[in-house]
Amino acid sequence: MSTWIKVARYHLVQPIPYLLVTWWILAFSFGVNIAIYALVPNSDPAGAGSVPDGHYTGALCSIFLYFLVLGVNSIGRWLPFGLSLGVSRRTYYAGTALLAVVLSAADGLALAGFQAIERATNGWGVQMGFFRVPYLLDGPWYLTWLSSFVGLTLLFVYGMWYGLVYRRWGLIGTIAFVAAQVTVGLAATVLVSWAHGWTSVHHFFTGLTAAGLTGLLAVLAVALLAGGQVTIRRAAI
Amino acid sequence: MPEMAGLDEGTPLFTQVAERLAAEIADGGLAEGARVPSTNELAAFYRINPATAAKGINLLADDGLLEKRRGIGMFVAAGARQRLLGQRREHFVARYLRPMLTEASRLGIGTGELIELIGENDQPDQPHRDSRSGVTV
Amino acid sequence: MTPAIAVAGLTRRYRDQVALDDVSIELDPGSITGLLGRNGAGKTTLLRILAGQEFPSSGDVRVLGQPPAENEPVLRRMVFVREDQAYPDIKVGHALRAASWFYPNWDARLAGSLAADFGLRPKKAVKKLSRGMRSALGITIGLAARAEVTLFDEPYAGLDAVARQIFYDRLLAEYAERPRTVLLSTHLIDEAAALFERVVVLDQGRVVLEAAADGLRGVATTVSGPVLAVEDFTAGRPVWDRRRLGSQASVVTVGPLDEAARARARSLGLDLVPLTLQQLVVHAAGWPAASEAAEEAEAADPEGVSA
Repeated sequence: MSTWIKVARYHLVQPIPYLLVTWWILAFSFGVNIAIYALVPNSDPAGAGSVPDGHYTGALCSIFLYFLVLGVNSIGRWLPFGLSLGVSRRTYYAGTALLAVVLSAADGLALAGFQAIERATNGWGVQMGFFRVPYLLDGPWYLTWLSSFVGLTLLFVYGMWYGLVYRRWGLIGTIAFVAAQVTVGLAATVLVSWAHGWTSVHHFFTGLTAAGLTGLLAVLAVALLAGGQVTIRRAAI
Repeated sequence: MPEMAGLDEGTPLFTQVAERLAAEIADGGLAEGARVPSTNELAAFYRINPATAAKGINLLADDGLLEKRRGIGMFVAAGARQRLLGQRREHFVARYLRPMLTEASRLGIGTGELIELIGENDQPDQPHRDSRSGVTV
Repeated sequence: MTPAIAVAGLTRRYRDQVALDDVSIELDPGSITGLLGRNGAGKTTLLRILAGQEFPSSGDVRVLGQPPAENEPVLRRMVFVREDQAYPDIKVGHALRAASWFYPNWDARLAGSLAADFGLRPKKAVKKLSRGMRSALGITIGLAARAEVTLFDEPYAGLDAVARQIFYDRLLAEYAERPRTVLLSTHLIDEAAALFERVVVLDQGRVVLEAAADGLRGVATTVSGPVLAVEDFTAGRPVWDRRRLGSQASVVTVGPLDEAARARARSLGLDLVPLTLQQLVVHAAGWPAASEAAEEAEAADPEGVSA
């Protein structure tokens, strides 16, 4: 267990990529957006405490994407030197996953915090919905925290998978990996169409609350985590 | 090969280390009862593996030329110099004297003439004319 | 005494090539061994397998008594300095700090002193280091780790001769102070020859020679001079590499030459020059039983001598 922590620390020996860049991206995006919101007159003044529809920025997705990048790098860039320091692949993977989980939890909490401030200040005084995403990140703070935590973790682990696939099977393998996912998606679509199941699918998703979706994604994240742990065993460096 | 303080390729390094120490003892550079450099000191000096240096020292120790004093190190044994000088004499005869005699006899130089030649040439520090080149050496 | 490294029947196959073919080696703890051979002989593959970075196709590999792959208690006691180590986007200081967390015997003072000797600046990004400086970083980590088993794979790529000498001197000093099992692969054989107690020579994935380094000195000699004299002197001795130019010949003869033989050579007007370890290794590829010749001073009859 302590070796897992050492691995996590190893990733943070250079604090900028994992700890700071996320917030730099967010700060920059926030700055740009708030400038726009401040300058452009409010076209639809609604009641206090609410953000009119359409006044949500999609800016948060940038940090989710960044977590994907971090995941890829955690294997692609950081693995060779990490393994040379005398840890097994399994430990390296576990330590990195530990980092992902802790980071996602911390950043998710911060997001929830900012969301609360945003609500309290009526969209930062300009009715901007930066930290709120309709349906997904729009509920009570603990749900926001949970959803962002799961979302960030999922994207990080998904990124790790890309790093792993590349390490084990090279560029061709990565392309095959993407192709396989596309194929599965297409096959599922075809299957559902063939079974005339679109209504059921629609019902399922509309009935799904944000919490439910979060639960699903959490299961997916755990599955990916477990799968990655198995895949890394024969990775060459 | 550059860095071995003059050790050569042809014989095992540990033998050369032993020979050099023996030469130092025979020449009086290492007096009887004096401490011999440690394995690590020799290894660092010659830039060789410490185990090799140790082998060289052990070679001399096995011959009784060095003695070990526990906790302090290796020291030159009493009588070592005499024994080494004796060995060198024997070696001198085998390596230089006998071949010289063989060569002399092949050239038809008799013993008497040989002794004369030795007398003529036995002034190593005096400058003299080299008979072939005419240069003063 | 458990060997520090014990490999038996190790084979590593790739899709179209056999990198290691039935390799069996044993190294005692507390020794410096040279791993020699041409590029592509299998040295790197062997070291990577020992370090747990690659997996054997078949055979038994044990480091400090256990298989190294994914085996943390063993991996922790080992350090592997590779020629092409990939680093993340960090600085020299970061790399050293991270290493200090993982190696139980890490000596920070030594790391600082080595970095200073090599001119490594802690604030410099590793990505921006020249090849030689990267090698210096690898060596710094490898020595400061003070690991029981220290593996070097041509660790001095890009290092100039002065820096290489620093490496050899520091390695010897550290080894003298704290003996460990060192396996150093190199193709700059003569430079490092005096460091080795034993050498293992690989060629095309097989062990062609394994002997005490000292035993190899003087085991082969170049005899040159007038053709007839050379033939006369080397009659009945195993011989490689005959060369001839006009009335002069040069031949490599195998087997130690005693004082009598040397005197005879002198009297025949022949020059005797012992083969360096590097030259020996160059010939070893065609010399399967070279180990015997090296270790038995009397025997001078290896099979398969290449001309």
